[in-house]
Amino acid sequence: MEGFTTTTTKASAQPLENADVLIASVETFIFDCDGVIWKGDKLIDGVPETLDMLRSKGKRLVFVTNNSTKSRKQYGKKFETLGLSVSEEEIFASSFAAAAYLKSINFPKDKKVYVIGEDGILKELELAGFQYLGGPKFGQQEDGEKKIELKPGFLMEHDKDVGAVVVGFDRYFNYYKVQYGTLCIRENPGCLFIATNRDAVTHLTDAQEWAGGGSMVGAICGSTQREPHVVGKPSTFMMDYLAVKFGILKSQICMVGDRLDTDILFGQNGGCKTLLVLSGVTTLSMLQSPNNSIQPDFYTNKISDFLASKAATV
Amino acid sequence: MESTTSNPTSTAAAELLSGVNAKVLLDSVDAFLFDCDGVIWKGDKLIDGIPETLEMLRSKGKKLVFVTNNSTKSRIQYANKFRTLGLSVSQDEIFSSSFAAAMYLKVNQFPPQKKVYVIGGEGIVQELQLAGFTALGGPEDGEKRAQWKSNCLFEHDKEVGAVVVGLDPDINYYKLQYGTLCIRENPGCLFIATNRDSVGHMTDLQEWPGAGCMVGAICASTEREPVVVGKPSTFMMEFLLQKFNLSTSRMCMVGDRLDTDILFGQNAGCKTLLVLSGVTTKSILDDPSNKIQPDYYTNKVSDILGLLGE
Repeated sequence: MEGFTTTTTKASAQPLENADVLIASVETFIFDCDGVIWKGDKLIDGVPETLDMLRSKGKRLVFVTNNSTKSRKQYGKKFETLGLSVSEEEIFASSFAAAAYLKSINFPKDKKVYVIGEDGILKELELAGFQYLGGPKFGQQEDGEKKIELKPGFLMEHDKDVGAVVVGFDRYFNYYKVQYGTLCIRENPGCLFIATNRDAVTHLTDAQEWAGGGSMVGAICGSTQREPHVVGKPSTFMMDYLAVKFGILKSQICMVGDRLDTDILFGQNGGCKTLLVLSGVTTLSMLQSPNNSIQPDFYTNKISDFLASKAATV
Repeated sequence: MESTTSNPTSTAAAELLSGVNAKVLLDSVDAFLFDCDGVIWKGDKLIDGIPETLEMLRSKGKKLVFVTNNSTKSRIQYANKFRTLGLSVSQDEIFSSSFAAAMYLKVNQFPPQKKVYVIGGEGIVQELQLAGFTALGGPEDGEKRAQWKSNCLFEHDKEVGAVVVGLDPDINYYKLQYGTLCIRENPGCLFIATNRDSVGHMTDLQEWPGAGCMVGAICASTEREPVVVGKPSTFMMEFLLQKFNLSTSRMCMVGDRLDTDILFGQNAGCKTLLVLSGVTTKSILDDPSNKIQPDYYTNKVSDILGLLGE
C-alpha cells in the first residue's frame, strides 16, 4: 500500500443521526459501488429512491469504484440494467483512472502499455488513444492457455516499446503474463509500474470474499521488487481528477463507502467528509475493533437511511 | 523481504577470489554449501567446470551440501537431476526448500489429521507426503477454474491447517482463491513460504519470476506475512548441523543471490562466496544500494579449481 499521511481522526465514528444536516453541508456525494449501491448484480434496498432524493436536492452524484473489470461505458450499462439513471461521465472506475493517469503524465503515444487485467482496462486505454497489449486472453492459444515450457533454449521475447505495465484484477492470471510484465518492468528502461488498486479481497459474488486485485499487484511486486504507482482508492488521484473536472472543493464532498482501507481512507486523504455504510464488507465490530485505526466521520446501515429524517437504528 | 537475525555486517567490500585467498579459504573450511540455480546449473544445463571442481573438493576431504530454494522438486527428485547431469550427489546431501517446508510442519508438531494446501510444485507435495502429511492442491489444481455465478459458492476444505506457497509455474486464480480462503477463514491456519526469491534461472537463457511472486500474491490477499523456511532464514541450517558435527564458521556458503544465499551464510556465521554465474552481476554487487557484501566473489565455481592451479 502506498504510504499516505492520514489525518488521524482521534474521535470515533458517529452514528448518522441527522442525515439532513450532512446532506445540506455538502454539494457532492461520491459513492463506492460494490457494497454501497449493489452487491454482485443485485441492487441494495432503497438505492434508487435515495439517489433520486439527493438529485432533487441539487446534489452532484459521482461513482468511484476500484473494480477495473469494466470500462465507464460498461458500468453505465450496469447502472441502466439496474434501473438507475447514471451517466458515463459520473462514473470513475480504476480502469478509467489508469488511462487518465497515463494521459496526465503525457505518456508518449508511440510507447505501448502492457496490461495484466481485464477488458475494462483495455477499453479505457483504447478510448484514450494508447497502444496496448496483454489483457485477459494474452498468451492463450485458440484451444486453451499457452503452457509455459521451462526447457533449455526457450526464451520469452517481450516488446521493447512497452513503457508502462498496468496491473489490475485478473481472473485469468498465469505465469506467462507475470513473466511478460516482469521482463518489461525489469528490462525496458524507465518502464512504469501502475496498479489500478490493491484491494486484498473483493465481493465478486455477494456470498463470499474473493482474492482481489491486490494479489495480482503483489505478485508483480514480488518478482520485480518494485512498488507500483496506485491510481485507485485510497490514492487521491481520482478525487483530484474529479475535483478539477467538476470544479468542486473537497470540503464540499462526502465520500460514502463500505471499506475502511480504501473508501474511507480515500475520503480522508482527500480532505472530505466520510460516511461508512455497513451494507458491504465492514461490520460494526470491525469498525469498533481496537485493531482498526480508520474512523470515518459517520456510519450508518445503508444509504437509504438518508431517506429517514430520524436516526436509523444501527 | 524477511529480515532475519542481524549479522555483524561486513562493511568491507567483497574480495575477488585469487590464487592466494582461494587457498586460505579452502584451508579454513571443512564443508561447502552450494546453491544450485545459477551456481551448479542453469535450468537443465550444467555450468562449465562443475564436475571437476566438486571432485577436487571431495578429494580434499571437503563435505559438500546443496541448499536450494527451488521447491519444485523433492530431495529425491533433485538427486535424480544431479545423476542425470553426471554428478553423484546423495539425497541426504540436498536441502531443498520443499524439504524445509515439510520439516517445519514436523518440528512444530503439525497434527497429521490436518491438511496442507499447496500452491507450488510436485516437490512440495512429495516431501509433505514423505513426512506423513496430507497434501491438497499442487500441480493438479493448475487445471481447475473458479466459477463466479451468484448462487455458486467457492468451496474450500475446512480441515486445511496450513498453506505452503512456493514457486508455481501453474499459478492461477483458482489456487490464489483457495489459499486465500484457507488462510482467512480456517482458524489458526499457518501461512508458510518456501522462499521469497523474486526471480531465478528456471531456464538457461533468462530469469523467470520466483516464489516471491506467488508469496507476494498471497500476502496481498490475506494481509498476512508468511513464515519463510528457505534462505535467508537459517531454518534449514538446523538440519544441516544435525548431519555434520561442524561449526558454521568452518563452512562456506557459495551462491549467486545476495539477499538469499549470502544473507543465509552470514546469518548462520559461515564464510560466503558470491558467484557471478547467476542472477547477480558485478554492478549489482558494487551498487551503493547493495548492503550485502560476501567475503569473496568470483565468476563461477570452477574458478576455485582454476585458481588453485589444479
